[in-house]
Amino acid sequence: MHTALLILIAAPFVAGLASLAVRTRPAMERLQLAHAVVLWAAMAAVVAGVVMGGDGDSAVSVGPLLRADRLSAFMDLMLAFVGGTALCYAVGYMGEELSRGHLTFPRYRRFFVYFNLFLFAMVLAVNLDNIALMWIAVEGSTISAALSVGFDRTKAALEAGWKYIILNFVGIALALFGTVLIYYTSEHVLGVTMEALSWTALHRVASHTTNGLNPVVLKMAFIFVMMGYGTKAGAAPMHTWLPDAHAEAPTPVSAMLSGLMLNLGLYAVLRLKSIVDPAVGQSFAGSIMLGLGLLSMAIAATFMLIQRDYKRLLGYSSIEHMGIMLIGFGVGGPLGLFGGFFHMLNHALAKSAAFYAAGMTLLRHGHKMIERVTGLARQAPAAGSGLFLAAIALAGLPPFGLFISEVLIATAAYRYHQGIAYLFLALLALAFATLVAPLSRMTLGAPVQSEAGSESLTVTSGPDRLMTMALGINLAALSLIGLLVPVISLDWLLPISALLEAKAGLP
Amino acid sequence: MTPTHPDLGSQLINLCSMMLLLTTFAIVAQRRLSACVDLFAFQSLFLAVTAALVAWFTDSPHIYIAALLTIGIKTAAIPMILRRVIERVNVKREVEFIINIPPSLLICGALVILAFSVTEPIAKLGFLLTRDSLAIALAIVLIGFFMMISRKKAITQIVGFLMMENGLFLGATASAYGMPLIVELGVFFDVLVAALIIGVYTHRLQETFDSVDTTKLTGLKE
Repeated sequence: MHTALLILIAAPFVAGLASLAVRTRPAMERLQLAHAVVLWAAMAAVVAGVVMGGDGDSAVSVGPLLRADRLSAFMDLMLAFVGGTALCYAVGYMGEELSRGHLTFPRYRRFFVYFNLFLFAMVLAVNLDNIALMWIAVEGSTISAALSVGFDRTKAALEAGWKYIILNFVGIALALFGTVLIYYTSEHVLGVTMEALSWTALHRVASHTTNGLNPVVLKMAFIFVMMGYGTKAGAAPMHTWLPDAHAEAPTPVSAMLSGLMLNLGLYAVLRLKSIVDPAVGQSFAGSIMLGLGLLSMAIAATFMLIQRDYKRLLGYSSIEHMGIMLIGFGVGGPLGLFGGFFHMLNHALAKSAAFYAAGMTLLRHGHKMIERVTGLARQAPAAGSGLFLAAIALAGLPPFGLFISEVLIATAAYRYHQGIAYLFLALLALAFATLVAPLSRMTLGAPVQSEAGSESLTVTSGPDRLMTMALGINLAALSLIGLLVPVISLDWLLPISALLEAKAGLP
Repeated sequence: MTPTHPDLGSQLINLCSMMLLLTTFAIVAQRRLSACVDLFAFQSLFLAVTAALVAWFTDSPHIYIAALLTIGIKTAAIPMILRRVIERVNVKREVEFIINIPPSLLICGALVILAFSVTEPIAKLGFLLTRDSLAIALAIVLIGFFMMISRKKAITQIVGFLMMENGLFLGATASAYGMPLIVELGVFFDVLVAALIIGVYTHRLQETFDSVDTTKLTGLKE
């Protein structure tokens, strides 16, 4: 199990370095697909090791710094699974771009170096048992993603990249200030050592009532961390980088940003929340998250109404879903936490699938205009039906898991405060309409060939097969999870909620 | 870990932190880009001295390494990168403002007062040696943030970001006796890479937009 954790973390890094030396396209394809397989295998071993470990506190650890408890293992599952399909998709997508002559081989190679380092930084971040080292890894993921977002050297991509850099670097600096504040209070309890930054030690200290962690400092730290990592999670009002970056980044990167990187921000906030809660009471951090969540949902659902670019529309939909998760985690309790985690997993799968399909559409049509795409399901069955299925999953229709998690979060919110539950449901309904209407217009119905310029480009069969495979795997996993809720919940997600909750010292 | 000369130590460290704050104001009041970069290098030097003083008065040798790294990276390497960027993009060498200098300085003064009042309830928790440093650190972070949003050129935004980092480092060193060494090494590495990447982006902005005025980035909106 220990070696599996090391392999899981090292694989993306090694693959990134190895990519530098690759000279031909087939070699790169083999390397990246092998990388995906290794990721999956290592992830399966780590997850098995943690879940089979018995009680809720079981963990796989290597040395004092690397430790995967149930929450980390949950993040590993998501990162490695979606990361693996994203690699498979990227091989197809960038291969197609290469054969069309949109980029040279050195740039094709550089794309995979950035992409692998991005994945590496994220996997590292969730397995570090240290609040400051986690910050360094998160910053690493911000930097490597910055290179990927501005990868296409168009004016729009540069602008999106610049906005991404400025907002996220400021955010991450604020998060570091929060981290320093945590250290400022914990060093009195745990001494001026590495231990004062360890999640495990902080959890242990925090669960005692007279723990010596200063509540005022913790409150300030939480506000800074929430602002900082909230920027990374795309929570309103710090969300303004997100639609631009999702629209202009190469599509495999958009899928990784939405499916994985946003969740990383939430992960960091959640970890901190479970330390802050016992000292200052659950309502402090919870109500901040709840407020940001409602604001995110409201802003995203409204702005989705006027989108004309389908990748941008999906970006706004991510803000909305981050809002839903923030509400779930903010309301808390077993229902809220479970709903939040379940939503996170399903959203990661559904949104990356939606981006895979959107990217295939982009390759066929060469533009991102919603109104100029019609009858996609008939023209390109894989991309069209994939996009439609992902859209109804994201809109929260059964049989997909997002329906279940939204019901759970609504129930938890109702218990917390009736008004919030009604507001939540109203915003869900608005977001449902503003997402499904444009996407179903794109996918269903008859293809209209009105303009001369709108005939579709053909995608070479090899890349097309890889992209369809990635899309298919994601959608299959999504439907399977929707049906298997009881199994997942009992074995895994409930213990995670319990882990955070017990530490939060609730009755 | 007991302070050997609490009085002298805290006096000196407070003096140095104040110098940091003073250079922050000088940067805000500066009209020339290259002078901004020089002042940033100067500020980092004060930061290194502060760190060395903390290391001396608290007997924590690992902070010396952080001080040396500050000199190497923040007073030498990063200013050099920035000067090269300024030369290469060959812009008019002046800072352009969204908010002019006099109101900027007033706002920064208000930010300092805000920082002191916010940290007032928790300042007493700090080790006796460096009671005001946390407030000064927060003030520098806030002013750096303000600088990022109130200046037009990409390079001044980088300087703002780096000032925020300096404030954070002051907070970590002077009020919490420094983070463990491995953490500081990682933070330094990240800051260096971040500065390099922003430099690369600035260069590309100049090539593509023929300007590093970030208010001209208005292509993407609803």
